[in-house]
Amino acid sequence: MYVTPVRHDLVGRRGITAEPETRSMSPSRQNPSTPPLTLVASSATGRNAGSDWSKLMARAQDGDREAYRELLERMTPYLRSLAGRCFRQPADVEDAVQDVLLTVHLVRHAYDPARPFGPWLAAIANRRIIDRLRRDTRRRTREVALSTDHETFADSATNLHKDAVDEAALGQAIERLPPDQRQTITMLKLNEMSLKEAAAASGRSIPALKVATHRAIKSLRRLLTPRGDPP
Amino acid sequence: MTTTPDLIETLVASATPVRRLRPPLVRAGLWLLFAAFLLGLIGIALGLRSDIFECVRQPRFVVAMLGALATGILAALASFRVSLPDGSRRWLLLPLPALALWVSTIGYGCLTDWISIGPQGVRSGEAVRCFATLLLTSVPLWIALLVMLRHAARLRPTEVSLMGGLAVAAFTSCALSLFHDLDASVMILIWNLGSAAALAAFSVVFGRPMFAWAAARLTPPQDRPASAP
Repeated sequence: MYVTPVRHDLVGRRGITAEPETRSMSPSRQNPSTPPLTLVASSATGRNAGSDWSKLMARAQDGDREAYRELLERMTPYLRSLAGRCFRQPADVEDAVQDVLLTVHLVRHAYDPARPFGPWLAAIANRRIIDRLRRDTRRRTREVALSTDHETFADSATNLHKDAVDEAALGQAIERLPPDQRQTITMLKLNEMSLKEAAAASGRSIPALKVATHRAIKSLRRLLTPRGDPP
Repeated sequence: MTTTPDLIETLVASATPVRRLRPPLVRAGLWLLFAAFLLGLIGIALGLRSDIFECVRQPRFVVAMLGALATGILAALASFRVSLPDGSRRWLLLPLPALALWVSTIGYGCLTDWISIGPQGVRSGEAVRCFATLLLTSVPLWIALLVMLRHAARLRPTEVSLMGGLAVAAFTSCALSLFHDLDASVMILIWNLGSAAALAAFSVVFGRPMFAWAAARLTPPQDRPASAP
């Protein structure tokens, strides 16, 4: 949950729901439980953080890289909390955050240090997030995301997710074998013991183990072949 | 994929000093000066229409001209205001009263003239020269606006281009009224309202890609981070 204390110092002179488009964005399309996008910050680090950000931005405009780095790093959690209300996947949230950071970089000359920084940043973030939501919605209407279940190809070897099913069936078939055959198969095939090791462990002769293996595989083939199909 | 800390490093590395934008009022004023300069140049080249002194005495002509001028000025101011990230969208309403005045004068004139002149009002000879004036006025104005407002590419391209298109259309209409004797009602309707509607529609449809194009071409290379998401 992203709800954090409201930063009145960041809100500035505009009021808390900064822009008309903020209200029209309707994050309920994404997540019905999310509240409307309002200007809150994720890390309250002092009463005058808003004016701090404004000063940092003014220094960044003059080419102070350290101030710029500090500003970008401090605004990132705030942007992440804004984006987190509209996107569910962490990768989408990071993409949105990066989009906003890049836009702030490209339009940083448009910031007037005499005006509050909070509404300026919130407006940019809203614009970019709305743009991304619209683009995602458009994409969803004409594209279908493939999950692993959809990765079906003509070659059966590529359908790896069927292995789990086969493994379970094989395990059940082994359970239904006679005890000596089951023990032999378990030792030689599942535990990958050599004939000598298996003979020493079970106290049976090597030819007896070979015969038991042969019979076990024959039984398994019969058990695993669907009825009606030729073996 | 670039992680956010990596992106911040890239942005910090490409953070050169920037010149802050002047207040929107000053920038709109500069664009209006350019528009006045352009109209002056075209006026010198083409000369005012022959019956300008008679026209100035007609209240309808004067009101229409004033309406168009006011629409152009207010729409330009609105587009510069709306282009800023924290500019309120209420600025979009600013040119509406002037626009209503302008459109109603043209519409009323057409209605009365249509009754007195009839459908013979269409003349084709003037049309070609009108089209030249239309292009000469609107293209430079629109390019200047595109360059001055390129920072809106990632913010509100559609709203800004709508206001910009309206401003350009209003000034183009002024130029047409001043330099061509379009007395025939249908011609006035086609050239003034038609070109205004076409320019505004063009701006809305192509505003977003054109702003994106201008922003990409005109951003200095050192300001452009290598890894755009």
